[in-house]
Amino acid sequence: MIPSRRSFLMGAAVLSATVITPDLVRAAQAAAATPNWALATGDIEADIAPRAMRLVEGRPPVGLEGVLYRNGPAKFRRPGRSARHWFDGDGLVRRFSVSGDSVELAARFVDTRKRRQEERLGAMVMPGFGTPPDPRAEIGSPDDANAANTSVLMAGDRLWALWEGGSPVAMDPQTLETEGYVTLRSDLRSMPFLAHPRVEPNGRIWNLGMGGGQAIVWRLSADGTFEDASVIDLPRASYVHDFTATTRHLVIVLQPWVRERQTMPFADGFAWRPETGTQILVVDKDDLTRRRLFETEAFGFFHLGDAWTVGDDILFDLALHRDMDFAARGASEVVEGVPLDGEPAHLGLIRLKADGTTELTRLPVVAEFPRSDPERAGLSRRLSVHTTGENRETPFARAIGVTDWGSGQTRAFDFGADHVVDEMIYVAKPRAQTEADAWLVGPSLNLAERATELHVLDVARIEDGPVATWRADVALPAAFHGVWAG
Amino acid sequence: MKAFLAAAAAVLALAATPALAQDSTADITFTFETGQPSGQIMVALYDSQSAYDGGGRPVRVERVSVTATSSVVDFADLPAGDYAMRAFHDLNGDGEMSRNPFGMPTEPFAFSNNARGNMGPAGWDRAHFTVAGDTAQTINLAQ
Repeated sequence: MIPSRRSFLMGAAVLSATVITPDLVRAAQAAAATPNWALATGDIEADIAPRAMRLVEGRPPVGLEGVLYRNGPAKFRRPGRSARHWFDGDGLVRRFSVSGDSVELAARFVDTRKRRQEERLGAMVMPGFGTPPDPRAEIGSPDDANAANTSVLMAGDRLWALWEGGSPVAMDPQTLETEGYVTLRSDLRSMPFLAHPRVEPNGRIWNLGMGGGQAIVWRLSADGTFEDASVIDLPRASYVHDFTATTRHLVIVLQPWVRERQTMPFADGFAWRPETGTQILVVDKDDLTRRRLFETEAFGFFHLGDAWTVGDDILFDLALHRDMDFAARGASEVVEGVPLDGEPAHLGLIRLKADGTTELTRLPVVAEFPRSDPERAGLSRRLSVHTTGENRETPFARAIGVTDWGSGQTRAFDFGADHVVDEMIYVAKPRAQTEADAWLVGPSLNLAERATELHVLDVARIEDGPVATWRADVALPAAFHGVWAG
Repeated sequence: MKAFLAAAAAVLALAATPALAQDSTADITFTFETGQPSGQIMVALYDSQSAYDGGGRPVRVERVSVTATSSVVDFADLPAGDYAMRAFHDLNGDGEMSRNPFGMPTEPFAFSNNARGNMGPAGWDRAHFTVAGDTAQTINLAQ
């Protein structure tokens, strides 16, 4: 028994040493899986020159004029080494310009120091959210590893590409030419700036930057100029991708995915501690030292909706994850082409009551990327727009939904299994009277046609599907977040 | 083994002889290119890996006021050997490397060879250079 077992172990050791490398295992898994959604995390090799999109369905909506900017990773693999996580690819900023009855698409990579270095080396060497360090990397500042790949913000007349661990990167909103890293004040150079700023209806911009058990609170004017910044202490070093705000408060949700080690890749420093529950810190905008701490059950999350108040209660919607396994593991497997086995996120509503208690309502609605009317940010509203139709195997949505908090009803349109549906943006119709007088504007990746499409849906009749769809002659990978500049 | 080491030492000594014979000292000149013509550049020169990587004493230090976009620092009469340099542009002239609230440097810094570190200062392995005669490097200190 002992000899044969020993020889088996030795045989296995020889096999693993000579044959089975992690790369080979990953390649085999990828080949076995070959999900048809692999295009969604595919590589784009060069900037996409402006080109017309072709109307393939419906009629262009009268009065819809503007530009949809979106950002997301679109280059993961180089011959010498590849990124290991969906969040670590190079940011490609897409520009869908809607004018009259024509739509033009252009896209350019943010010209980051990360991208220049990796182009020169022919290898993705920067450590990231889930990509381990590489000895070849040259990093003297967090911005050297800045992928600028998560979202965009209109800051006055400049377009900022946002990451979450470094500075915004300014771009020309017309040409998408990269202009440089934004330093808001010289003594705050290289401070982090989340990819989820909260913009008040008057244009004032609030944001956080995370540093373990501390956060910097940024306040900028509508044109993107610096107004104020302070560092506040947090009760725990949670992973914070997004926060929310009412007109008077910042609401910082501290999930039990907590940074316990300073290590790279970033995600490896976090541990899931569900027994500690979720904490929610409410800070007064006018006096950051005035704060209240709420507690609720453990959940994971990336994204929150805009908050509002009812009396002295604070409400906000969110996409509730069971845990943060997707961040820690799933988003690596997505890039490797491995089908996931994870529970999709569901829509929830949190009410922070004036008496200090917390009410969490879970809806049986699969949802991610919650958005709402930017003119109602911080104010009372009924509608949440969100993706839906994600399933256990893929993190990608195939449908778009609108949930009405007044009625509790969700209406949705399913684009079908051939579509990877991005976050969509709420755009009010001209002279809108009600919250439902709006369009949703956003792209999908049509896997059957191998083409990116832009859709416009009517919020009041979302279940009818797009009122217009344009198709491009290119297929861009899934993106994370965007803004509409009307 | 002992004999091998003795022979190796002899070879190394011989190899060093010609450089020493030609010129026993050399000058190292750094031209710093900076963004703003303000403050001062603080420069530290090291002659060993242990001092450079281990927080030891530099062999020379220099400070130069920045009045143009290019500033020259000259270290004269140095013995031949291996060196590495670190510098920062003290924009506000307080003599210290300023840092943001999370501890990241906010003033430009650089190393010889224009070497860059990997989530830290550039180590001796990237920053050191050999001096056998007068040596000049142009260092980018712009942000």
